[in-house]
Order: sequence, then structure tokens, then C-alpha cells
Amino acid sequence: MECYHLAQKAVPDLLEHLKKIAPVYAPHQKGEKSYSFERVTHASEVVLDYNRTMLSLKKFFLPPTERLLQYSIQKQNVVEEEIKPEKRIFFGVHSYDMQAVLRLDHNMIEGHPEPNYILRRQDAIFIGISFEPDDYHFSRSVGIRVEEMEGFDLFLNKVDTNYYLFILNKEGSDLLKGFQKLKAVKDIVRFERNFKNKLKYHYNRIPEVFQHVYHSEVWQKVAERCVGCGTCNLMCPTCYCFDVMDDVALDVKSGERRRQWDGCMLTPFAEVAGGENFRDKYEQRTRHRVYRKFKYITDQEGVPWCVGCGRCTAFCPAGISLTDIVNNLIQDYENQQYAKTGVVA
Amino acid sequence: MKPKVAFFDFTGCEGCQLNKLNFENELLDLLAHVDLVEFREAMDETSDEYDITFVEGSISSPSCVERIHDIRRRSKILVALGACAVNGGINAMKNIQPIEQVRETVYGQDKYRFATLPAMPISAIVAVDYEVRGCPMSQPDFLQLFKALVMGKTPPTYNYAVCVECKLEENECLLTKGQICLGPVTRAGCQAICPGVGQACIGCRGFVEGMNREAMVEILTEKGLSVDEAVKRLQLFNAYEVAV
Repeated sequence: MECYHLAQKAVPDLLEHLKKIAPVYAPHQKGEKSYSFERVTHASEVVLDYNRTMLSLKKFFLPPTERLLQYSIQKQNVVEEEIKPEKRIFFGVHSYDMQAVLRLDHNMIEGHPEPNYILRRQDAIFIGISFEPDDYHFSRSVGIRVEEMEGFDLFLNKVDTNYYLFILNKEGSDLLKGFQKLKAVKDIVRFERNFKNKLKYHYNRIPEVFQHVYHSEVWQKVAERCVGCGTCNLMCPTCYCFDVMDDVALDVKSGERRRQWDGCMLTPFAEVAGGENFRDKYEQRTRHRVYRKFKYITDQEGVPWCVGCGRCTAFCPAGISLTDIVNNLIQDYENQQYAKTGVVA
Repeated sequence: MKPKVAFFDFTGCEGCQLNKLNFENELLDLLAHVDLVEFREAMDETSDEYDITFVEGSISSPSCVERIHDIRRRSKILVALGACAVNGGINAMKNIQPIEQVRETVYGQDKYRFATLPAMPISAIVAVDYEVRGCPMSQPDFLQLFKALVMGKTPPTYNYAVCVECKLEENECLLTKGQICLGPVTRAGCQAICPGVGQACIGCRGFVEGMNREAMVEILTEKGLSVDEAVKRLQLFNAYEVAV
């Protein structure tokens, strides 16, 4: 792994250089206080010191809404949407969002490969950047350091006001061909960034907790404050559920089939024909959502499916904190263990 | 045979009906599928029976009750159109004020000449088959319902929050910015048109089924409203549902 110095003032030059290779997407200010990944037109508009974007990179590979096919009854035909693979550079990605893409890869490629996702995803290039954890980030607690470089081609680690630029593979070094001469770093200074927001247990112990808290009172307490708006689902970088619907044209003889993000916190999600709903209470829905992040897939894959980005908490209108939920479940688990064995877990 | 379609209005501003005449690009295509047999704002003819009836406005007087029963008897499918018909709308704000005072304010000394009732959605009196929500009713939503009915399918109900549509558009959250937005409990289907341009949601489409009202009031009080003010915000279009 090679490492070079990159001055902060050279970052716009790097962006301009990359733009010549492929379209570049990077964090931009959106609204007064929010950020989103947008295509870079002016390097000066890119925000490097952002806390988190509203939507993760998921929106590029599994768009919020997309057309799957068009049909015509008159012509008796169906035309599937053609997706051309495109080389795109995603610049300024935080480690937890990269890890979320790797988890999505698992969901979308293993078992039933999802062609639209794969076509949009396959030529993506990722350039990471370090971040200062705020009150909501807790990725360290789910095993993702700020400087975790898995999945990236290049990585920028901020040191004081400048960056260490790590070249992580051949794609990464190819990107820098023809870019200004970089000065190698001789002694890499390593430092740990502190997270204020934490889970009480190492993530290895969390699946064990989840074996005992299905009937915990924590779920009911959360439900009292939850309005079921689905923000936590839709902003989660590893949620991938969608609904499929037909949009008929006014001639009622042709139309298109679309898919759109869905979420298990929403009422229609578990509703079936006849109006039955398998999870008609908010406490059941929150429980399902959190089990999906810390138990069901985690049991199979060994890592939490939550990446600790903090979006579900930062954007929850009711101020419900995921780390509080999990920590309260841990407390509940400890109380149960103590009641059973007299030993503090 | 094309379905016979009629429009009727009750207590409301008639904006939802007018909204349909504004379908300038689609109006002719729409009319190709149906026979319009009664529509006071657009034609003189009337009819005795209807396949699909659209009803706008809320029920607010004994004569409304009589008339809606009559319309219902003559309609195969009845669709409530817009906030007043679906939720009672802003008319229902009168329900939360002393009725004598309301009558006096509106009719002065003639108040005893006009019988009145609390404002109610159409569904409080007769069975309603489908709904098009919003103030005014949303045109895309109406088109969805219209096409579904023409094809004999069940129209979409959007029983989820406006927040969902904001997230799909990656709109900046107005609550996060400190605005008083009812998006978390208001029914979607509007493509989050107001928050999309920075205008907070005021709940014109009614609430999602089984709304957690206490939690929503708490969200609003966290933003600086008193409980009373928070409830009043919820009541703007929904005083029938959110009675005190």
C-alpha cells in the first residue's frame, strides 16, 4: 500500500483530473444543513468535511424509483429497461458507506443475482475519505473504523489540514496517472478517532443478546414514541426492500412497471390480500427492523448489517436512537441473566 | 358501454372539481373512457343513475345528509374527492368551537333560519368506495384512481407517510431544520410537493391509518409548540378525526 501527501488545496485539482476520466459524484451541500452525493460540475462545490449525506450510495445502484419495463397490449410486447454499465467515480465516501455497499453486494448478488443492481454497480470506483465522528456515528461499535479501507480504490485520510492519499490497488494507481507529482509519506502517523456514540458490547456479543430480547419491553417503549414514518428504513444504507407497481397510460393499453423503495416500518409492507397485516403494531415493526440489522443476516454472515452511519437516528423525527435501543436491549439481557444466574453478564 | 360519471359538490370551495377542468392535456383522453352525465360546473344535463360518482365537500347540514343518501342510492361506485369529502377538511374546524358562536359569526341574526351540523366526511353518512385525498385533490392521484376504475382495479391508497416521498426525492428534512412539518403522519401520494419546495406539510391529505397522535404531538412540542398549539396544527384539516 503506497501512501502520499496530498495538500487540501490540491483536492480540487484531483477532482478536475478525475472528471477527465469518468463522471465524478461527491458530497454537496443540499438545503441549509444537509448533504447529498451529486455529480460534480465545479470542484469548488464539493464538501469534504461533511457529517453524512441524507441518502447513501445505494441511490446510485438501487435507485429510489426506477422503471423496470414498458409494455403495450396492442403491440403485445414487453420492453425491458436497458441499463448500460457506466464507469463512475464516487469521491469522498465514508468507510461505513463503503461497507454498506459491500453488504448490499451480498444481498443483491448472492443467491438471486439482481441484474439492474449489478449493471449499475460493476464499474464503480470508490475514493474514500476519513470523517470526524459526530454525536450519531457509531460505526466503530459495529467493527468499522473511520480509516477502514476495504472496498476503496483510493483513500484520503485527513491529517491536520492535509491528507494522506493511500493507493489501494491498480485501479487506484491508474486513476492518478498524469496527476501532479505526489510526495511519498515516509512515516505514517496512526491515530485513533474517538466515537462519542457507542454500543455497550462488542458486536460479537450482540447476536447472543438478540436471542433473549424478542419479548423485551424495550420494543413497546420505542413504539410509544414512533410515528411509523419509515425514515429509518429509507435512509438506511443496507435496507434494500422495494415494491413493484404498474403505471398504466391514459389509453389503458400501455404502460410501465416501476419499482420503488419500500420499508418494513410502513403499514402496507406486511399487509396481504384480505387486509391482514402480519406486523400491524409499531413495536413489531421496530423489532423486525432491528433484528434485520443485528440478528437475521448477522447470524449467517458474522457481521452486523448495521454500519453505524447514524442516519436512522440523526433523521428520526421522533429522536429515537438506535444505539439507545440496542443498549437498552443489552441492559434488559443483563437483567435477565442476573435474575436467572445471579451472575452479572 | 362507457361508465356514466357524475360530479356533486357539498360544503367546500369547489376547487377539487375545478381542478379537473384544469386537466388541459388529459381531459379529452379522460373523456374518451367515460360518459360524463352530470357535472354542474361544466354542463347543464343531469341523469338518474351513475356508475361512478365523485363527491366533493363535507356534510354540514341536514339537507346535505338527505342529498348524499339520494346520490348514494343512485351510484354504483362513490368516490370522495378532496380533503373536505375525505376527512371533513378545514370545515371541520367549526366542530371544535361553540356551535352557537359559529352560527352567529356566519349568519348573524339570521342564524336560526339555517340548520347546521358538525362538518363530517362523506364516509360518516354513507359508504364511500374510494378516496382521492388532498386540498385540492392531487391531479396525479386522481388520474391513478380514474385509470384503476376504468380497468376495474383497486386504486392505490398510499397508507404511508409523506416522509417516504421526501426521502425518495432526498429532500432536506424540514423538521430537522426546525420547521413544523406534519409529514411524518400525513398520507403520501402528493409526491411531497410542499416539502419539496421548502413548505412544511400541513396535513391536507389526512393521516396514515392508526396514527400515533401522542407521539406526533410530542414531536411538535419538542420543536417549541405547546400541546394546545400542536393539537391545533393537527386539526387544521383533520378536526373531525382529531376532535379534542
